[in-house]
Amino acid sequence: MEAYAVQAVHGVVYGMLLFLVTSGLTLVFGMMGVLNMAHAAFYMVGAYFTYSLVQWTGSFWLCLLLAPIGVGIIGAFVERVLLRKVHTFGHAHELMLTFGIFYILAEVVKWIWGTYPLTVVAPDVLNGSVPFLSATYPTYRLFILLVSVIVLFILAFIMQKTRIGIIVRAAVFDNEMVDILGVNVQLVFLGVFSIGSALAGLAGVVAAPFLSTYPGMGLEILVDAFVVIVIGGFGSVWGALLAALMIGELQSFGIMLIPELALVFQFLLMAIVLVWRPQGLFGESA
Amino acid sequence: MTHTRTKNVLTVLIVLAALVVLPYLLTEVQLNMAIEIAFFSLFAVSYNLLLGYGGVLSFGHAAYFGTGAYFMVFALKYVAGMPILPAVLVSGVAAGLTAAIVGFFCVRLGGSYFALLTLAFNQLIYAIALKWRSLTGGDDGIGLDKHDMYLPFVGNLDTMSTFTVYYLTVIIVLISLWLIRFFLKTPYGNTVACVKDNEERAAFIGYNVFRSKLVLFTMAGFFAGIAGALFAFFEEFVSLDSINMAMSTEVLFMAFIGGTGSFLGPVLGAAVFIYFTEWVSDITEHWEFFLGVLFVLLILYANRGIIGLIPEKIKNFWSPRSASAGER
Repeated sequence: MEAYAVQAVHGVVYGMLLFLVTSGLTLVFGMMGVLNMAHAAFYMVGAYFTYSLVQWTGSFWLCLLLAPIGVGIIGAFVERVLLRKVHTFGHAHELMLTFGIFYILAEVVKWIWGTYPLTVVAPDVLNGSVPFLSATYPTYRLFILLVSVIVLFILAFIMQKTRIGIIVRAAVFDNEMVDILGVNVQLVFLGVFSIGSALAGLAGVVAAPFLSTYPGMGLEILVDAFVVIVIGGFGSVWGALLAALMIGELQSFGIMLIPELALVFQFLLMAIVLVWRPQGLFGESA
Repeated sequence: MTHTRTKNVLTVLIVLAALVVLPYLLTEVQLNMAIEIAFFSLFAVSYNLLLGYGGVLSFGHAAYFGTGAYFMVFALKYVAGMPILPAVLVSGVAAGLTAAIVGFFCVRLGGSYFALLTLAFNQLIYAIALKWRSLTGGDDGIGLDKHDMYLPFVGNLDTMSTFTVYYLTVIIVLISLWLIRFFLKTPYGNTVACVKDNEERAAFIGYNVFRSKLVLFTMAGFFAGIAGALFAFFEEFVSLDSINMAMSTEVLFMAFIGGTGSFLGPVLGAAVFIYFTEWVSDITEHWEFFLGVLFVLLILYANRGIIGLIPEKIKNFWSPRSASAGER
């Protein structure tokens, strides 16, 4: 029984990390209609920044602030200089462009940091474990949970209670109308894209000591994030939260009970959702 | 018009003659490259059925290429005395069936959904190939048992010879390309283009949009499977490399670099891709970076691919009216 409880918490932790990655992706998609494949690369770059920043400054805490800012700047550059250019060519080109950026960044990462997995060590405070039921539970995993929950609340607060949030939600609904009403939508796009990228970077920082930092980490999380988006429904933050938790639990228990098929379960769930509700659990029907 | 027709027939004859004599002019290494270009051309053209003709972006086309490659190995391994040509056909059918099942889930959703679903299904099929070790050899890969090929009127052919592999590959690729082109010119093939241009209107006129997309997806899978079978036959070995994300990426690059707006663009793309990777990987080990940069530059500045950069004057030689728009 206790093994199940631990596994369930593992599932929640991975699910929340997945949510952290997906939240930025859905935010950008909901607003701009762009499925940003470079998001996974931003996540990876966040993790690699953390590795180097820990080496230079010795402080992991600083990374929580600096790495997302760095990644956010890359994101701003991508939106302002590249993405805006192909917007008129249609969504296939935007997708291909973000994929091209994903591809290039993955190569740049290999170029700078090499292909071997790197280890990022979390601060001592987070390295121990805390009592949990009759055993202990690693503190770092709880830290991931904490960061994700804080981000979730901040996002929810901004979106629901502030003027910026109202503009963003309105632009998701109908960005032309918002433009006509005198809001600088281009600027809002830039802001949302940068913040979405920064969120990916933050997820990368948090993931760095937890999962290993290696060049394939982007693709791995990208596939999971895609499955989450399909299940949760495009552009829905709450859908993403629920779906991320479902995938987290499914992987966690899948690996424990039937390790051979663990990889397949989430795709199966995705297929079922697609047949039953093509727009996803929380998606609006097209 | 007849003048144009004569020119076109002549061009085809010259190209065919060139393909026949090519092996006698090339070195062994160059001939191997030519074979690679041939089956990757078919792969890229099959991919362009989706990207260029269907207007949808797939990130999972390697799933069918790989399925074809693995089934080529299975067919020759598990069916005693399986002749080569039916084995290629079996591989294509297996890939086509896989595509039909995946397509059932993917094609009803357009746009970004389609892109991420194809990627997810590619990963699923990859995971199956990885985990089903007893069948696929997992990450060790699996070797292909080659045997002689018997053709009526010709006799036994030595399949170990690069010449035989070259002619076999080129002939199958040419027949496949001709079949694809033939399909696109039929009335049913035309509905595909119609669906791409305006899905709502096509549905309103009375076309079954779902079925037409599914047929296109299945066909793309079938010919990708044929290309995969030829790949397996050439390499004499199949590994997870044939079915992974990198392969799906490469075919996107080939099709887009060549040009998605024309039938033969992807063929050019496959040739350029093979030469480019060969050439740049000699200079630097980070060739993939430069490939990515080339891809992004083309998206930004020349989104009709390399074929779009060829001056209209040259293209007008074959078809005086707008070559890129009318003649697809």
